[in-house]
Amino acid sequence: MALARRTQRGTRLLVISLVMISLVTITLDYREGSSGPFESVGRGLFSIVAPMQDAVSRLFRPVGTFFSGLAHVGSLQAENRRLRAQLQESQTRGGQVTTLQQQLQQLEALIQIKDRLGLGSSIGANVIGSSVGNFHWTISIDRGSADGVGVDDPVIASAGLVGHVIEPITSCCATVQLIIDPGSAVAARLATSGDTGLIAGERNEPLQMQLVPTEVDVIAGEAVVTSGYQGGLYPPGIPIGTVSHVLNDPGSLSKVIQVRPAVDFSSLEFVLVVTGSQA
Amino acid sequence: MRRTVSWIVLVLTALLLQSVVFGRLELAGAKPELIYLLAILSAYLEGPASGALTGFFGGMAQDFLLNQPKGITALTLTLVGYAVGSLRQYMPTPSPLLPVLLVAGATAVGVLFNGMFLYLIGRFDAGFAFLVRISVLSAVYNAILTPLAFPIVRWLIEGSRPRKVFRW
Repeated sequence: MALARRTQRGTRLLVISLVMISLVTITLDYREGSSGPFESVGRGLFSIVAPMQDAVSRLFRPVGTFFSGLAHVGSLQAENRRLRAQLQESQTRGGQVTTLQQQLQQLEALIQIKDRLGLGSSIGANVIGSSVGNFHWTISIDRGSADGVGVDDPVIASAGLVGHVIEPITSCCATVQLIIDPGSAVAARLATSGDTGLIAGERNEPLQMQLVPTEVDVIAGEAVVTSGYQGGLYPPGIPIGTVSHVLNDPGSLSKVIQVRPAVDFSSLEFVLVVTGSQA
Repeated sequence: MRRTVSWIVLVLTALLLQSVVFGRLELAGAKPELIYLLAILSAYLEGPASGALTGFFGGMAQDFLLNQPKGITALTLTLVGYAVGSLRQYMPTPSPLLPVLLVAGATAVGVLFNGMFLYLIGRFDAGFAFLVRISVLSAVYNAILTPLAFPIVRWLIEGSRPRKVFRW
């Protein structure tokens, strides 16, 4: 009985100690921010983990793609019919060639968007991981400071805007905050009317374009692109998405527009990082 | 030593799987919380001290290796591990459903606590309804993964226990 009581007391002391250490860590990290020692340690450890993510990503990419396809089975049926016709033609050349062709198509699409938008220096990157938690919307890429990638560099995919680079960046890898993150804000422009607004991330829901004057006519399906104002993060003209719904509040001074993102964030494989000077 | 190395490998594997594989396998927008799963199963099998330690170190590993706000996951999992380990002794039933239900409940509470703490320090602005939805979905996801993870964690724990030595 006395032993059980001593064990319980020891466990409670252990838990209290661990809780105190956690609270001290939280406080120091919060107060020091990106210049603190924990950030440096985190960056160093991320540089160890990121190559492992890269290796595991290459290993599990076919598995992940298979299960991701199961989750999107409805929309994949029509695509499946089209791909079956393609597959018959390429089956004679072997499965490996088919995979390489798909990758080449994605890379060619990236080059096309880069040329179309007249982007300056840029570098292609593979997506090697996504955010671990349920409250952060980020991806990890296999390019870092050694490749010229820096904080706030815009990141795009063949379909449109993905996000921008945030800390941590190591020599080999970097983290990208997606535009669907609630903390993200993108200066945007309606392609037809030219009116501007601010795109806010809404997690897995459609993006919301705010601060659009109520007198502006907005049509469903209208393209939304980056406005690229002086000193902004993103160059002008990068596709963000299309208008899916307009929310009219009679008492409000501005419209709220729902925007369906152009990029499918659940299946990102290749992205382009725009390095150097932006808009 | 062997037990420590095994746990390090298991935690690292869980983090890599969560960020690479399960990053694409969302359940209605929610990802599983594999470190939560490990901490809760450790607490279930070995008691509150082991649960708290696994939760603390697993949480710190997640926060530092994947550059999340430092210390919050460690705090959450320390408390979750301790609570599950303490409650377990009052649940002597051998039912195989018990670990699944415990994982689901503890994950939901843990994710809620984590989200509310992030909100308190101004690092969460996705709304309370979203937080509740994610905590429930993560709990369901973890519960689905429990039958796969339970044998692995039990094998690891039983394999690392020192064998009894009888001296005649």
